[in-house]
Amino acid sequence: MRALGPGSVSSFLKIILDVVYVALWIGVGAVGALMLLALLFSFNPDLLADLVVTAGGEEVKNRGPVMTLGLLAATVYMGGVLVIVAQLRKIFATLTAGDPFHPENVRRLRVVGLILAGLELGRYAFWVLSRSILPDANAVEPSLSLTAWFSVLVVFVLAEVFREGARLRREAELTI
Amino acid sequence: MPIRVLLDRVLLERRMSLTELADRVGVTIANLSILKTGKARAVRFSTLAALCRELDCQPGDLLHFEPGPGDEDFEDD
Repeated sequence: MRALGPGSVSSFLKIILDVVYVALWIGVGAVGALMLLALLFSFNPDLLADLVVTAGGEEVKNRGPVMTLGLLAATVYMGGVLVIVAQLRKIFATLTAGDPFHPENVRRLRVVGLILAGLELGRYAFWVLSRSILPDANAVEPSLSLTAWFSVLVVFVLAEVFREGARLRREAELTI
Repeated sequence: MPIRVLLDRVLLERRMSLTELADRVGVTIANLSILKTGKARAVRFSTLAALCRELDCQPGDLLHFEPGPGDEDFEDD
């Protein structure tokens, strides 16, 4: 089984990424629309009178802003994942074309690394913010995810490997 | 790059075109143009040997070293 080129594992993964990419766009759109609705409803709390939102076993008083904040965080998170998948699609397109050391792949991997780090930092920021808004909410405790930070470092190292690969490719192109 | 390729001069002396040399050596015209214009980063010994064979010359006839401020940065990029 070939790893690179047309009809290889890379092209199969590219198809999966294409499907995930479309699904994420739909997801981001849906969550974004819900966030806008929650924002509109927050100006008129009576419309949300029948909706009960609980945190830590107690009912949340300011439902509109809390829901808006939660949905905004979800939209931003899904947006970050969407950008990562978009970069991976482009990387896998070069792998499918049999050109793994395309110079643009270095920048794409760095973007993936930065967004992974940003999403992890955003998780901590969201926890701090939610603790200040909902002091009773303790369902989600923050934890330093070593796996996430390890992934970030691996992606940055991979970006450097690809940079070296791109340099060698250029050297090979200019070797007569 | 302090190494200057003198391929155009040798070609002129031999009254040979770049196309003909490319055919004889088995290198594309595009690659020979890169070599002729000094854009090449390296030359394979096999290519150099083929060039010398077809042009009936020595490597020194094709390459010339010109010391300059940029002759130490062969690890650039």
